[in-house]
Amino acid sequence: MDIGRPKRIIEIEPTSLPIPAPDLPMPLTDPAPEPAPQPRTPAGPVDP
Amino acid sequence: MTSAPVARELELAASIEPIVAWRTWSLTGRSDGSSLLLRPVAGRSRPWRPMHPVEAGCKHTRLHASPNLDCTCGLHGTHGLDILRRTRCPAVLGRVALWGRVIEHDHGYRAQFAYPQLVALVCQFCFWQWGTHGVSPDVVGWFPRGELVPLCWAHLEQAQRYGMEPRHVLGADEIDLGLRETYAVDPLIHW
Repeated sequence: MDIGRPKRIIEIEPTSLPIPAPDLPMPLTDPAPEPAPQPRTPAGPVDP
Repeated sequence: MTSAPVARELELAASIEPIVAWRTWSLTGRSDGSSLLLRPVAGRSRPWRPMHPVEAGCKHTRLHASPNLDCTCGLHGTHGLDILRRTRCPAVLGRVALWGRVIEHDHGYRAQFAYPQLVALVCQFCFWQWGTHGVSPDVVGWFPRGELVPLCWAHLEQAQRYGMEPRHVLGADEIDLGLRETYAVDPLIHW
């Protein structure tokens, strides 16, 4: 393919690269643990 | 020696905006339509890695950086579409972003870095014959060595008649979508 004679030289330094941004990585931290079940408080005396 | 005088005569410019030009690629992949890769139409050059900028190389790379004024190396793009109709076996037509050191020529560019921006599959026989009118393929033929050739129904039939029988025939829509997902680019709709 003949694109003809060279005309000029352009130095292009884009501020952002024209390539797709990579997907955000998955978080590496473990998921927050399930809350521990609250100890059941013994039922207080019930007034008859 | 001509390189130094030519280099001095050429205008030098700087920019922060990539140039967007026209380009064609060949396409390879597996027989099930996976592992799609764009490749230069000339020879069996290195594929364009998805999601990474492509950097120009040259067989004379030990002697000069690419693109070089006295060579034809570099990642090519063109100003117009007509010139691309003469390329060998185009499977994909698209717009490509070019940056880094770019040499502008009368009819196109040679660049240091590139990445596709918009892509569309083309039936190469329609593209050769009629330019950009009605070049959308219906199927993609899979050939030995992983070559993928988009074809319209009429040219598939004609190719088969002349012994160009694909081992597998895949749906063009499926390959088109797979290609765009692989490179995370948009479809070329208007041209």
